[in-house]
Amino acid sequence: MSEPEITKIEVGDGAAIPRPEDKGLVSAWWIALFGAIALLVFLPWYKPDPYLNILRFVPDGIIVTFEVTVFSISLAIVIGLLTGLGRLSRNRFINLIASLYVEVVRGIPLLVQLFYIYYALGRFVRVPDLVAAVIAMAFCYGAYMGEVFRAGIKSIDSGQTEASLSLGFNHRQTMAYVILPQAWRTILPPVGNEFIALLKDTSLVSILAVADILRRGREYASESFNYFETYTMIALIYLLITLVLSKLISIMEHRLSHYERR
Amino acid sequence: MINKVLAALLLLAALCSPVAAETTIVFATDATWPPMEFVNDQKQVVGYSIDFMTAAGKEAGFKPVFKNTAWDGIFAGLASKKYDAIVSSVSITEERKKAMDFSEPYYTVRQALIVGKASTAKSLADLKGQKVGGQIGTTGYFAIKAVAGVEAKSYDEVGLAMEDLNVGRIAAVVCDDPVAANYAIDKYKDNLKIASVIETGEAENYGVAVNKGSAETLALIDKGIKAVKAKGLDKELKKKWIGQ
Repeated sequence: MSEPEITKIEVGDGAAIPRPEDKGLVSAWWIALFGAIALLVFLPWYKPDPYLNILRFVPDGIIVTFEVTVFSISLAIVIGLLTGLGRLSRNRFINLIASLYVEVVRGIPLLVQLFYIYYALGRFVRVPDLVAAVIAMAFCYGAYMGEVFRAGIKSIDSGQTEASLSLGFNHRQTMAYVILPQAWRTILPPVGNEFIALLKDTSLVSILAVADILRRGREYASESFNYFETYTMIALIYLLITLVLSKLISIMEHRLSHYERR
Repeated sequence: MINKVLAALLLLAALCSPVAAETTIVFATDATWPPMEFVNDQKQVVGYSIDFMTAAGKEAGFKPVFKNTAWDGIFAGLASKKYDAIVSSVSITEERKKAMDFSEPYYTVRQALIVGKASTAKSLADLKGQKVGGQIGTTGYFAIKAVAGVEAKSYDEVGLAMEDLNVGRIAAVVCDDPVAANYAIDKYKDNLKIASVIETGEAENYGVAVNKGSAETLALIDKGIKAVKAKGLDKELKKKWIGQ
C-alpha cells in the first residue's frame, strides 16, 4: 500500500459520458444531440429523395444492430465474469487459461477475429450468420470485460475478504456473497462504456454480410449512388443512438454513486 | 526491389510528364471476380477484362493502368475522380447510365444461379423463404431482390458468398455466368453446381464506365474496344480465360 500515487490517464473508447452534475443546456452532449435530431428531421423533410428513402431503408438494420449488441454484451458479461474470476484464481491452471485467453484476444484485431470465426471456423462449425457474429463479438469483448471484472473485484478492500474468511465463509462463498455484490457498483459503469463501444464495433459485422445499419446503408448507396447522403444519415443514426445511450449510462452511474455521496 | 522502385519512378514520370507520348488512362477494377479480373498468385491483377483493355490500349494508343479497388465504393471513387474509368465487369443498366457514361459493350453475360450439389432448385422462385447471396450492388444481387419472398443477402465479395454457400449458410448465389462457372466448375466443383441461367429479360453487357462528360477518354476507349473486336482478338481472349 506504500506505492506512490501515479496520475492515471483514462481514455475510454466509448462515447463521452456526460457528467451528471452538468445540468446546463449548452454542453457538447446537448449540442450534438440537438444537432443530430435536427438534421435527421430536417434533411428528410427538405429533400425526401433520397434522405427519407434512406430512413425508410435502414430500420431493420437498426434492429439487427441492437440484436447483435444486446446478445453479444450479455454473452460477453458471462465470459468476462468467468475470465475475471479465472485471472484472480489461485489455481495455477485456471489462471493460465484465463490469462492466455485475454492475451490472445487482445493481440488480434477484432476485424481479423470476425473473419476467423466466421469464415475460417465456418468450415467446421456451421452456425447461422447472426450467431457467428454474436459469438465473435462476445469472444473479443469477453476478454476486455474480464479485465473490467478483475479490476472491479480487486478494488474491494482485502480486509473484506479477510473478515469474511475469519467468519467461516470459504473462498467461493466470500466471492459470491461479500465481494461480487459490492464489486458490481464499480463494474457497471465501465460495462456501460463497453456496451457503447461494442454497439459501435458491431458496424464491423457488416463485412460478414449481417444486415446491420451500416450494411443496409451500403446496400442503399450501391444501388442509388447517393454515397454522401447515405453515409451522412448512417453516421447521424449511430451518433443519436450512442448519445442517448451515454446519457442513460450517465444516469445509471449517478444512481450508483448514491451511497458515496451520502 | 530496385526494379519496383524504378518502375514506380517511371510510372510517376509518365504521369507527370506534360508531353507524354500516349495518354494514360487509370482504370479501377475490383479484382475479386475471376476469370474477368482477379489477383493471381504473383499478386498481379489479371483476367479477361485486363487483357482486353491492354489490347484496346495498344490499338487506340493509350496506356492502361489498373488500380485494384473494392467494389463497394468503386462508383463513388469514379465520381470523386480518383481514377478515369472503371473496367470491372460493370453491366450497363439504365440506373447506372443515369449516374455515369458507358463505352461500347465488350462482353455479354447472363446471371447464373449456383446451388449446392444436392439442391433441386432450378430457379429463384424455388428458393422462396430462403437466403440467397450476391455481391453488393451487382446485377446478380438486384436479380435476387426482384424476386418476392427470397431473402437477399449482400456480400462485399462474391467469393465470400460462395464460401457461405459452400458451408451451407445460404441456399444459393447469383452472379455473372463466367464467374459462376469459375467457382462451380473449378474451385468448388465437389460441392456446388450451376442450377440454371436466369432470364432477366434483355441481354446484359459489360461496359467501361466513365464520368459523365469524359468524352475524350470515352472516345479513346471506344476506339480500342472496336478495334479489338474487329481484329477478333476478343475471341482469343475468351479461349484463354473462359475456355469457349
